Amino acid sequence: MVVDTVLSIVGLTAIIVGAFFDIVSAIGVLKLPNFFTRIHAVTIGAIGGSVLPLIGVALLSLALEDLGVHRFYLAGTSIAGAVLILILAPTGAHSLAKAAYIMCQAPRKPLLYDALENKVEGGLCQ
Amino acid sequence: MDIDVIYSVIGIVISVYLLSSILYIIRLVKGPTIPDRILALDALSYDLSVFIALLALFLRRPIVASGLIALTLWIHALDLYVSKYIEAKEMGD
Repeated sequence: MVVDTVLSIVGLTAIIVGAFFDIVSAIGVLKLPNFFTRIHAVTIGAIGGSVLPLIGVALLSLALEDLGVHRFYLAGTSIAGAVLILILAPTGAHSLAKAAYIMCQAPRKPLLYDALENKVEGGLCQ
Repeated sequence: MDIDVIYSVIGIVISVYLLSSILYIIRLVKGPTIPDRILALDALSYDLSVFIALLALFLRRPIVASGLIALTLWIHALDLYVSKYIEAKEMGD
C-alpha cells in the first residue's frame, strides 16, 4: 500500500536523523569544557535525539503489519513518551542550571562576559 | 518497502545508541562536579528510553515499551530533587 510505504520511509528517516543527533550530543557532552556548555549539548540530545526518533518509531510501527494489533500500543506509548520528554527535559535542565549557577557549584572558567553576575543574588562567586 | 531493510537499519541504529550511551557513561563516571554527573545521567536516561522503543520494534514484542513513560517521569523527579538539594541543602518534604 502507498500509505504504509510513506509511513515507513518517514519513520526511518526520523530514526536515522535522531541517531545522528544523539551521537553528536554524546561527543559534545564528552568533549566540551564546561558545565554550562555541556547543558547545551544535552538539549540537542533530548529534543533532536529522543523526541524525533520516538515519533519515528510510532510512525514506523503503524506501518509494520507483522506486529499484529499490539503495534497501536507501541505507537501510543511512543507518542506519549515523546510529548513527556518534550515538556519535561527543558524544565529539568533549566532548574539544574539555575541551581548550579546560583550556588556556584560548577566552574565558569572559559567565560568572556557574564550579564547575570550583578543582577542575580548569588551570581558573584568568591 | 522491504521489511528486511527496515529491520537491518533498526539494528544499526541500536548499535549507534549503545555507542553514545557508552560515551555518556564515561562522562557520568569522570564528571568533576555533581551537576555534571546528573546532566550525564539525564541524557543517558533519555537515550535509554529511545533504546527501549527501538528494542521493542526490533524484537517484535511491543509490550517491552511499557517502561518508557515511567523512566521519563523518574528522571525528571531526580532532576528536581537534586536541584532542590543543591539550592537549599535539603530534600524537601
